[in-house]
Amino acid sequence: MGSVLPLAILLSTALGDFAPQQAGSEPLEPALEARVQKLGKQLRCAVCQGLSISDSPASMARAQLDKVRSMVAEGKSDEEIRAYFVERYGEWVLLQPEAHGINWLVWLGPVALLLIGFVVIARQIQKKPAAAPEANAEQQSKRPAHAQGDDDEYLARVRAELER
Amino acid sequence: MSWRWSVLIAAAACAALVVILAKGFGKDPHEVPFMLAGKPAPAFSLQKLDGTGKITLAELKGRPVVINFWATWCGPCKVEHPVLDWGYRQYARQAEFLGVVFEDTVDNARSFLQMSPTPFPQLVDPQSQIAVDYGVAGVPETYFIDAQGVIRGKHVGPLSPDALTARIKDLVQPVAQAR
Repeated sequence: MGSVLPLAILLSTALGDFAPQQAGSEPLEPALEARVQKLGKQLRCAVCQGLSISDSPASMARAQLDKVRSMVAEGKSDEEIRAYFVERYGEWVLLQPEAHGINWLVWLGPVALLLIGFVVIARQIQKKPAAAPEANAEQQSKRPAHAQGDDDEYLARVRAELER
Repeated sequence: MSWRWSVLIAAAACAALVVILAKGFGKDPHEVPFMLAGKPAPAFSLQKLDGTGKITLAELKGRPVVINFWATWCGPCKVEHPVLDWGYRQYARQAEFLGVVFEDTVDNARSFLQMSPTPFPQLVDPQSQIAVDYGVAGVPETYFIDAQGVIRGKHVGPLSPDALTARIKDLVQPVAQAR
């Protein structure tokens, strides 16, 4: 079976076996059709990569959009239609995840990261360079003994040489 | 904020990221979740492909049902075809077998079945509405419904004889034993 399957796929592709394009259901009146398309934009096509069922040319997406259309025509609410698809395909089907449970992380995570960033930047700006004099003193103490202060004998000799 | 707090928050953020990534990478991103396992199978009433009437799920209640969604343009469905034929001959006494043509024309399906007939009924699903009701995400997909009308599970991709046998055995067991 394992070796036959890729061969079958290759052959069927080479022989031009593609899903015949089926006609979708008739569009509803403009206001209702706008709802169908809006809902379709929120639902992920099962056989595509990140495309909504409104945007996908796949036959599966067309079938799903037809289902949305028939449910809208039956008078189902947007919430009922979304629930119908979630019941079958899980929350995976929603291109915009619902804000509950661990999904809050998706919604609030970027905001929290931004806030943390602002706090860090604000703290860095407010920080006074209090450590600077101490650091200078430390640097001074690390210099060789002959290089410290104006009374350094070596320095005095260099200055004298330069003034000549 | 002391450096200890900063380290703690950074460590917590990294741990959360690792958990999320581990969860994400542990899954096949192309796998469509199936949520109807353990739930009542959606009712249907579909016309037979040979034009000899309709079949409803309700009339099959009390018998396990195997429903295969397929199409003539689907290579793996053709590979699976003889397995289902064998499965029907082997297990027809244990379960009802049905085929549902998915996103295909009646003419294509009839031509294919003239060359490779199946011993079990084939049904037409206009605009694939029953396929969507069942949460089909591609073909071939095979659904296993127990005698109480509850979906026990589905097989995505072509069935092998071993997989079909295992599914049928599971299907004819009472729910308590199956779990």
